[in-house]
Amino acid sequence: MLGQTCRKITGSLNVSPRIEFKRYLWRNSICQQKIDITLKYTDEASGSIANKEPTLYEKFLKNPKSVPLITSRKLENCNKYRQPRQAWLETLSTVEDHKLGMLDLHPDIFAVHPRLDILYHNLRWQEFYKKIDYNWTPSRGDLDVSGGKQMPQKGSGRARNRNRSSIMFRTGAKPLGPKGPRALFYMLPKQYRVQGLCTALSFKYAQNNLHIVDSLEIPTDDPEYIQDLIDTRFWGFSALFVDDTDYMPENITYALAEFPSYNILPVYGLNVRDMLKHETLILTLAAVEKIEQKLLFHSSRNKRSSRFSMDTRYDQY
Amino acid sequence: MGIEKALRLVKDLPRVALNNIKNSPMDQKKPHNLRRGWGKNKTHGRGHKGQGQRMTLPKLGFETGHKPFYLRVPQEYYYEGHHLKRQYPPLSLLRLQRMIDMGCLDPNEVIDISSICMTGHYHLHVDRRHYGINLTEEGAEKFSTPICIEVQWASEMTIATIERLGGVIMTRFYDPLSLIALQDPETYFKTGKPIPKCKLPPTDAVEYYSDPKFRGYLADPEKIAEERVALSQKYGYDLPDLSESDKLSLLLKRKDPRQIFFGLHPGWIVNLTEKKILKPKAEYLQEYYHS
Repeated sequence: MLGQTCRKITGSLNVSPRIEFKRYLWRNSICQQKIDITLKYTDEASGSIANKEPTLYEKFLKNPKSVPLITSRKLENCNKYRQPRQAWLETLSTVEDHKLGMLDLHPDIFAVHPRLDILYHNLRWQEFYKKIDYNWTPSRGDLDVSGGKQMPQKGSGRARNRNRSSIMFRTGAKPLGPKGPRALFYMLPKQYRVQGLCTALSFKYAQNNLHIVDSLEIPTDDPEYIQDLIDTRFWGFSALFVDDTDYMPENITYALAEFPSYNILPVYGLNVRDMLKHETLILTLAAVEKIEQKLLFHSSRNKRSSRFSMDTRYDQY
Repeated sequence: MGIEKALRLVKDLPRVALNNIKNSPMDQKKPHNLRRGWGKNKTHGRGHKGQGQRMTLPKLGFETGHKPFYLRVPQEYYYEGHHLKRQYPPLSLLRLQRMIDMGCLDPNEVIDISSICMTGHYHLHVDRRHYGINLTEEGAEKFSTPICIEVQWASEMTIATIERLGGVIMTRFYDPLSLIALQDPETYFKTGKPIPKCKLPPTDAVEYYSDPKFRGYLADPEKIAEERVALSQKYGYDLPDLSESDKLSLLLKRKDPRQIFFGLHPGWIVNLTEKKILKPKAEYLQEYYHS
């Protein structure tokens, strides 16, 4: 379905488009968004392809010394008693594993206490907040039964009774059974959710399942390319690619559409369940910046400091 | 560094996935026992009739109407927190003079808390919140030796008696860990621990130890000299000139605020069997012990 829509857009505009993921908005600004897309496409069509900036890997191929070896990324409010974690900056431009540099990662996000019970709470919440229990059993009044007395009060030798809906009867009602659609919605406190994301990221980093990549640009949209890449690097059976926005490059979306176990996600869709479900987690550099900024902001926030602030309005996403 | 150790452990353990995550046992609530099992029919473990079966038992501690045990004894706030306060067990000047006369203490050396404890006539129990010696006035008229003494608490009269005879008294604070080393140095050195760095007094004691009237070790020496003169005038004795005395070098002996033993610095380990002293080489240790 997604592939068909992509090819329609390419056919009509004759440029390399950015594919947008569907996302349900609170306000009815969907029309506004479509206009924005068209404008963006026309802007790209008017601009020449020669002015396009070369990727980090292209720069590396031309002159390995020109690419900066990033050893000290600026970390916000880093605790002076905790060492920042370090990770390689890799690339998806070749099947072989080439390292472009090294990054510093914030310890309050990527080296948090590995608490399994926080992960458990997050997983349970993700499962249960959407759940609706549809079980419904009829009670005495709901049974389709005549109201008359089943047998005379005395003389039968049996216990006295009234109508057939009684709970003592075999075919009678169930007392206090489940009643109707019942929502199991609840909100896990914010700190649990923030720390859940931090612990999941810490586990991925600690167990060597986290990889940071300059961008999700790949040379071809051939699914074999991506499969070879993942196999040579031993990234495992399932992988989750995370980019900072929901505008994804064309080639990777076509390639990964063939595989159910390799998935792409924007930063706003990052959740504990998906991080643990996929064996490896691949983040782009822009995604890492965004994740750090957001999680640090929310981990140090409380009701008092958020009382009159407009920092997290949903329409400023 | 529990977090670092935990993350190192996690590295070698199997991959954390959806199938191996459990809740912590403290969070797992036990379900309410409905008592519907085998043998729990009919009365469900409640017996026959009465308050036990009918959920009308009285509250815990109730004694059928009269005042119960837990309300009979009233609360007494007079001694509240007394077991947590600092205690300075007293040592009178009479006993001190007796120790000097018997030969337990040498007036030609600085009389320290450790020298007094090692005589065996004075006991200090650090675990009972004893923070040092309180030199009391009893025997002030019989006291007759010029000494250089270091105590933790002294009143005006004791200071006057000692200074009248040409001696020197200092009040000095030691924290409990330092006192453990001071009260029995031999056993402390045998443990193999380094000599501790003496900590500064707590906020409610800082005033006392920086007051020249009580000859505190944190006070200004010039002000102490002024107070000596003032005290001599108050009690009506001639203040002897210490610069003319024979024991000048002894009377001028002072310890650093972080030092516990004369001649030994914090951070050193004393080996009594081999008669050696081990000093720390690492920079971070030297930084810590010199601060």
